[in-house]
Amino acid sequence: MKIVEKSSKKQDMEFKPNIVCFCCNWCSYAGADLAGVSRFQYPASIRIIRVMCSGRVEPAFILKSFKDNIDGVLVTGCHIGDCHYISGNEFTKDRFERLTIILKFLGLEDRFRLEWISASEGKKFAELITTFTNQIKKLGPLNNI
Amino acid sequence: MSKSKKSSQKSQTDDLIGAVLVIGGGIAGIQASLDLTEMGFKVFLIEKTPSIGGRMAQLDKTFPTNDCSLCILAPKMVEVFRNPNIKLMTYSEVIEVSGHVGHFYIKILKKPRYVDEDKCTGCGDCASKCPKIEAPNIFDMNLGKRKSIYIPFPQAVPPVYLIDSDMCLFLNKGVCKVCEKICEAQAINFEEKPEEVQIEVGAIIVAIGFDILASKLPDNWGYKYENVITSLEYERILCASGPFEGHVLRLSDEKEPQKIAFIQCAGSRDFHIGIPYCSSVCCMYTAKEAIITKEHSNSSECYIFRHDLRAYGKNFYEYTQRAQDEYGVKYFNSKISKIVEDPETKDLIIHYEDLNDGKFNDLRANLVILATPLIPSEDSEKVAKILGINIDKYKFFKEKTLYDKLSSEREGIFLCGFCQGPLDIPETVADASGVANKVSTLLYPVRNTLLKEKVVSVPEKKINLEDEPCIGVMICHCGINIGKYVDVPQVVEYIKTLPNVTITVDNLYSCSSDSQTSIKELIAEYDLNRFIVASCTPRTHEKLFQETCEEAGLNKYLFEMVNIRDQCSWVHMEQKVDGTKKAKDLIEMAVAKSRLLKPQKESKLPITPEALIIGGGISGLIATLNIAKQGFTTHLVEKESQLGGNLNNLYQIFPGYQKTSEFLEPFVNKVKSHSNINIYLNSNITEIRGYIGNYDVIITTKGNKVNNIKVGTIIVATGAKELIPETIYNYKKEKNVITQLELEQKLRKENMEWLDNIKSITFILCVNSRQKEGITYCSNICCTNALKNINILKKLKPDLALILIYRDLQMSKKGNEEFYRDSRKNALFLRYSLDKLPIISKTKIGKFNYKISLFEHNLKGDVEFYSDLIILATPMIAPENFKELSKMLKVPQDQSGFFLEAHVKLRPIDFATDGIFLCGCAHWPKNIQESIAQANGAAGRAIRILGAKEMKTSGLVAEVIEDYCIGCGKCADVCPYNAIELIEVKKTFEDYTLRLKKSNVNSALCKGCGTCGVQCPNSAIIIKHFSFKQINAMIEAYLKN
Repeated sequence: MKIVEKSSKKQDMEFKPNIVCFCCNWCSYAGADLAGVSRFQYPASIRIIRVMCSGRVEPAFILKSFKDNIDGVLVTGCHIGDCHYISGNEFTKDRFERLTIILKFLGLEDRFRLEWISASEGKKFAELITTFTNQIKKLGPLNNI
Repeated sequence: MSKSKKSSQKSQTDDLIGAVLVIGGGIAGIQASLDLTEMGFKVFLIEKTPSIGGRMAQLDKTFPTNDCSLCILAPKMVEVFRNPNIKLMTYSEVIEVSGHVGHFYIKILKKPRYVDEDKCTGCGDCASKCPKIEAPNIFDMNLGKRKSIYIPFPQAVPPVYLIDSDMCLFLNKGVCKVCEKICEAQAINFEEKPEEVQIEVGAIIVAIGFDILASKLPDNWGYKYENVITSLEYERILCASGPFEGHVLRLSDEKEPQKIAFIQCAGSRDFHIGIPYCSSVCCMYTAKEAIITKEHSNSSECYIFRHDLRAYGKNFYEYTQRAQDEYGVKYFNSKISKIVEDPETKDLIIHYEDLNDGKFNDLRANLVILATPLIPSEDSEKVAKILGINIDKYKFFKEKTLYDKLSSEREGIFLCGFCQGPLDIPETVADASGVANKVSTLLYPVRNTLLKEKVVSVPEKKINLEDEPCIGVMICHCGINIGKYVDVPQVVEYIKTLPNVTITVDNLYSCSSDSQTSIKELIAEYDLNRFIVASCTPRTHEKLFQETCEEAGLNKYLFEMVNIRDQCSWVHMEQKVDGTKKAKDLIEMAVAKSRLLKPQKESKLPITPEALIIGGGISGLIATLNIAKQGFTTHLVEKESQLGGNLNNLYQIFPGYQKTSEFLEPFVNKVKSHSNINIYLNSNITEIRGYIGNYDVIITTKGNKVNNIKVGTIIVATGAKELIPETIYNYKKEKNVITQLELEQKLRKENMEWLDNIKSITFILCVNSRQKEGITYCSNICCTNALKNINILKKLKPDLALILIYRDLQMSKKGNEEFYRDSRKNALFLRYSLDKLPIISKTKIGKFNYKISLFEHNLKGDVEFYSDLIILATPMIAPENFKELSKMLKVPQDQSGFFLEAHVKLRPIDFATDGIFLCGCAHWPKNIQESIAQANGAAGRAIRILGAKEMKTSGLVAEVIEDYCIGCGKCADVCPYNAIELIEVKKTFEDYTLRLKKSNVNSALCKGCGTCGVQCPNSAIIIKHFSFKQINAMIEAYLKN
């Protein structure tokens, strides 16, 4: 029993998740920049893909990511009501709530998260990446499922 | 009489010249020049040294964001260099000025460079062969050496070499001429003579900046010792392109110092050597230098010897706290008696009095950095004489009035930046936009008379989509910002191996003007049809690189930028291996997208030449007047029943002691009587729709009157309000514990009887501000306000006992230090610290109301005294309704609730959203002088847009593929801008014709958000530049290798 625990722990340490993070140009991408300007440190596990609005993120991109063995996907945008394009993120919310239902069927819902991050929330961005990375670490690599 | 006056006025208008002379090429002069050309004026920018950039170019980083200073400045320098309407004359000085406002005649002396500016390519072959190497490097504060043919610094603008005539062997001894032989461009010309140039301009802006007092410091500061240096010298040492290539070394033995001492107020606020004022920025840059030192070497120890801590701007106080809490920088509240050298080790021994315990101590340090006074430029007297303007007692240029610091006393000559008084960079930038506005108000009849269109020398390359992509990649070290934490050479080697990548290069600063030249050369040499820069954030630098690509004939949408600094090296400082892998992946993903990029076209949009100003306080009034004066209809919305804002609650204004009503009256009257201004009192904005150039705004006035207006630009000047303390000092219960604003209300009363029974008044500063939790910031204006009221009260009742309890006194603007010294005689000053707040209790002793018990921080003892009235100086806070406005305007608020500007250093009065600007206390608590200057700046920024007839729209729009569209209309349902409509299209199929519904995107209205593309059930909409295929390719590229 002890041996199994040890080996799984070791595996945890070695596993570095690969995560894609979609950021909208106006809020969450600026928040990610602010995390840098403030030097808030977080794991080097994410690759940011910039889009103009979170409303541009197609649910298909998330499915495509999982198909390509990416361990986790984040979609981030402006807080509801703050969208630079008036209402784009309301559609985002709607679309990804529905996608989550599908992801539940596939057992992937814990590998996906939708978060709102404003241009002044550098700290929140760094914390999100840290907690989400840890969450994915616990789940292990996607291709092991 | 009146007739002759009229005719002379007319002739003066005929006489106006639509050109402006800007003296000084630092950040102030650069910003003013750029704004002026956008307003429609030709600019002559004169700089004394061989390159523009000024002091800001010498800084390593900027506070409070630790942004790389040159990285944010370089794009602006390049913009100046490229602008066809700025005639840049470096290494030149103004020698004669005649004429009058609207039409000055200027004589300029151009010193010989001995290098032809038009021929020099900046290759540097000459300097590498020049035998003379002893010349001190002036840009590096004489710390390093350079050749006698040189370029001041690698990113210099213009990127052209020159010969130091004092050092050159040929010019002094008649031998050598190696550079002439080596130069392939044949740019060397030893025959060059000083040249006089004459120009005519309508107005003059003076922005000659500051110098540093160091060599004249008294001996006790120890500047004569090798290891005692000034802050600016230390900035050069910290800088990756500085004398030690970014390694923190001391001069005597070039070893890394372990103990570093920073001495603040070294020579300033000192009435004996004649620098009585506070230089305003030292507290902050010292904290910055200490933080950067700790980032260079975590094991080093940093000690800051401070007096008062003057951290008064946005996020400043928090920054100094972070230096202590997160970086372990130690602050000593102290007085320095002297600094002496240990001759053997060359260490320094600092003798000081610790004000926390009153004891005299010594500290041994390996390196001492002095925050020496910043003084007016050595040329200020000479320049003042040539221009016929005055200087004040400190030799800064004298402003026209206390409340118009942007104008000199001579009409048509304006002041901006540090040459008028101590300022930080964002204030300087706001002032620069402000002077541009002043000039524009003066010269608006001749706007656009001397402008040239930009000529594109290289025609746009035709891109056939079948052509194989040829991608160029440039990877930036950003000094050490990227290079220290990401293994750039390894990334370069990897990227070279990717398909379609024709060429990969790395460099120290991709944003510098010589890098722009090399991008253009790369595109031409390798016939590239895509280009990628991996450096900082596209939010600040994408535009610069896009313009470079355009100049090389590459459509700007064929450029892609990768963020490997803000989102990689800066957040993975301890993870070099993973950070390097991340950088590789990010660039590889961009390469994948880049293969699929297509050229795009931009269309043009008309602009509604009207402005909306939200808030009728002093900032709003000034902005409104300035825009209206230049002929544009201006709408001013005020939620109260009268104009004037917070000033309506004050008694007298600082520093002129004028009654606020008398001060406000002329402004309010001018606004009320101006035919271009519509005033909406008792009104609120209830809806804002649209975008830059075309906003639809609904204004609702009390009684439900609704006005619909159309404007091109919006200025937010909503002010701030005083915090009402909830629990502290029994404010809620005691009627004689009041806030500063409540005191002002009392002072405004005609009848001063309330003062009769009062024998003693106590002011408590920093109430509910500068705390560990809750409000952490310094509210900037409470100190001066309290001292102003102390002086007023003393005048009203000379036998009044006045006590001021403070933590640090914020007195950092020109004249404030003397004001503080004068006020000291009117009150007793006691100091407290945050961990021991004063205690107020009710008492019946004597006839006083309250007993105040206090632990006096400087005396180190308990003090008790009695008072009748207690004034609490609470901070200015952002009102609740900012939230609503921020949502309507789609602009962000900062952590404290004030509005968040686009960039804290270089875009202090812009929002990230184009077309909306910010001024006054809505941005941050500030006094009347600063608010007025900033309002001028915001008006200037707005005029740039209002004066243009049309705007280019972005090429990032949606496009419908008609064949795939099934006409369901779902895209039109989700479009927030009503840019999509269903139109009827006739389709012929062999022998019959059908009428079909198809979506059609109006590209002038489309903002490119992409929501429609996701909603389309048949993938019939392409979101340009962010297409399905492009994003899919990025995902695919991530784990491919």
